[in-house]
Amino acid sequence: MSDALNPGGARPNVVLLSLGLAGLLAWVVFDAVSVAPNRIVSGQGHGAWDVAGWPGLVASLAPMLAMLALAWRPSRRHLRLALGLVVAMLAALPAWLALAAARLIESEMPQARLGIGAGVWVALFLLLLAMVELRTRLALPRLLGGALLLPPLMSLAVWLASGLEPLALRQELLARRDGFIAAIGEHLLLVGAAVAISLLLGVAIALAMRRWVRCRTLGFALLNSLQTIPSLALFGLLLAPLAWLAAHVEWLAALGVSGIGWAPALLALVGYSLLPMVRNTFVALDEVDTGVIDAARGMGMSRGQIFRQVRLPLAAPVILEGIRITTVQAIGLAAVAALIGAGGLGTFIFQGLGQAAMDMVLLGALPILVMALVADALLGALSDRLRQGAAS
Amino acid sequence: MSEATGILRGGARRRWLAPVLWAALLLGACLGMESLQGLFRLVEPDSRRVVYARADFLVLLGRHVFVVAVASLAAVALGVGAAVAVTRRAGRDFLPLVAQLASIGQTFPPVAVLALAVPVLGFGTLPIIVALLLYGLLPIVRNTLAGLEGIDPGVREAARGMGMTGGQLLRQVELPLAAPVILAGIRTSVTINIATAAIGATVGASNLGDPIISGIVNGNTAYVLQGALLIGLLALTVDSLFARLQPTLT
Repeated sequence: MSDALNPGGARPNVVLLSLGLAGLLAWVVFDAVSVAPNRIVSGQGHGAWDVAGWPGLVASLAPMLAMLALAWRPSRRHLRLALGLVVAMLAALPAWLALAAARLIESEMPQARLGIGAGVWVALFLLLLAMVELRTRLALPRLLGGALLLPPLMSLAVWLASGLEPLALRQELLARRDGFIAAIGEHLLLVGAAVAISLLLGVAIALAMRRWVRCRTLGFALLNSLQTIPSLALFGLLLAPLAWLAAHVEWLAALGVSGIGWAPALLALVGYSLLPMVRNTFVALDEVDTGVIDAARGMGMSRGQIFRQVRLPLAAPVILEGIRITTVQAIGLAAVAALIGAGGLGTFIFQGLGQAAMDMVLLGALPILVMALVADALLGALSDRLRQGAAS
Repeated sequence: MSEATGILRGGARRRWLAPVLWAALLLGACLGMESLQGLFRLVEPDSRRVVYARADFLVLLGRHVFVVAVASLAAVALGVGAAVAVTRRAGRDFLPLVAQLASIGQTFPPVAVLALAVPVLGFGTLPIIVALLLYGLLPIVRNTLAGLEGIDPGVREAARGMGMTGGQLLRQVELPLAAPVILAGIRTSVTINIATAAIGATVGASNLGDPIISGIVNGNTAYVLQGALLIGLLALTVDSLFARLQPTLT
C-alpha cells in the first residue's frame, strides 16, 4: 500500500520526519531569544513571532517543511537535497539571531544583551541530529561530514563580526578576551602535559607488565581502583601530601609545587590517564601476531629491532586509540581542576556558577565541548589512517 | 546435598565480603568522623574546627546516594528501553542515529554537561538529577546495543523455531545473554554519576561534595579529606557491589 504511494520504492524516513516535526514544534512554541537590558537583569523571552512577525515566522518554517517533504520519499537524491537544506538551515541560524537583535533591541540600549533561547538551541540540536542521520544514511566519509559544518561556522563568524554585537556570549567573551585566551592555553597545556607524561609512563608500565607477569594483576587492580575514585575526591586527596612536600622539600617548592594549583591537577590527570593508556598499550603489544614476530626473528632481526620496526608500528593504531580516550577524558577532567586553582576553562564554569552568570558558564563549557569533539575526531581519523596503512 | 549448599553459601558469603566491608567502612567513617578528630588535627593544626559540621555526614551520604540512585534507575529504564526499542523491527529506523548519538555523546565531558544543564534547568537538586540521567544514559544505551547486537543470530532463529513470541525471546533469551555487557555499562554509568554528583555541590545540590568544596574555599584541608574519603569509600562500595554481581550473572 505504502509502496504504491511511494514510486521511489523507499518507505518514508521516520527518523527525519520525527526530528523535523519536533523541530517545527520547538521553533513555534519555545522562546527564540531573550533580551536583557544589561548583564545583571535576567532577560525577557521572545518567541519566533516576535522576531519575524507572523509572515516571517511562516517563511522561516518553509525549509523545514521542504525537508519533511523530501524525507517522505527518501531516494538518494532527495536525501542529498535534504542534507543541503539542513546545512543551509544551520547556516541561517546566526542570521535569524541577527534579525532578532536588529528588531528587538533599540539602539539607545548599548548594554542590552541578546540571549539564545530554548527554541534556537533545540533547533540547533535537532538539525545536528538530522545531519548525523543523513550522513549515516548516505554513508558519507568522516572528513566530508566534518567539512559540511564549515558553511554554518563561516556564517556564524561573519554574523559575529557584524550584526550580532549584542549577543551575550560575544559580549562576555570580549569583556574577558585576555583571560579567555590564557585559560585556553592553560587548559591545553595541562591536558598536553598529562597525556604526554601518561604516554611515557603508560608504555613503560605496559612493557614492565609484559616482562613480569606478577606486575600485571597488581598493576591493573591498582589502576582500576584509581579510576573509580571520583575526580573531585582525588584532587582533594592530593592537596595535603603536596602541601606537605612543598613545605618540606625546597627544590619542589622552587618549582612551584604546592597543594593548590597545577601540581595536584597534573598528578591527578596523569593518574586517571594511566589506566586507558596502559590497557591499550598492553593489549596492542600483546595482540601482535606471533607469526609476524617469528618471521622477523627468522630474518635475523635483533630483539630491539623487532620491537622498534615490527611490534611498535603494528601496535600503533591501538596505542593511538588509548591516546584518544585519554585526551578526551583529560579535557573534561581538567575543567574540574579549576576548583583547586589550576586555571583553565573550568575557572569560567565555576566562577559563572558562583555568580549565577550563565553566559560565563557557557563561555567555559562550550569551548571544552568543542575541544573534546575536535580531539576525538582528529585522533579518531589519525587512528583510522594508521589502521588502513597497516592493512595495506 | 547439605554440604554442597553449604559450599555454595560459603562461596556466596565470600563474594559479598568485599562490598559489605566497604559499606561498613563507609558507614563507620560517617558516624565516627568526630572520633578521628585527633588525626585531622595533625593535618590542620591551626583551624578552629577540623571536622565538617555544617551538615551530618549521614545526611550528606543519603542525599548523594539518593541523587545517584534516582538518576541511575531512570537512566537504566530509559537506556535499556531505548536500546531494546531500536533493535525491534518497528524502531529499527532509529538504530543508526541512536548508536551514533551514544558514541558521540561519550565525548562530552560530564562537567560540561552539568554546566550546560544549569542555565536550562536552574540551580538545585533537579538539574543535577537530569544532567546525571542524560549523561548516564550513554554508556547504558551503547552497551545494551552492543550486547543485543552481539547475540548470535542462530540463537534467535532457534528460539523462534521453538515457537517463542517476541516478548519471550526478549525476556528469556536476548536480555539474559546481553546481561553482562549491559551490567558493565550500568557500572560505568553509576561510577561516573557518583563522581559527577560530587561536582554538583557547586551548583547548589548539597551532598558529599560539600565538605570538599567548603574545604577548598576556606583552605581547610581536613574538610577536603573527609569529603574525599567518604566519596572514595562510596565509589569503592558501589564498584565492589557491581564486581560481585557481574560474575554471578554470567
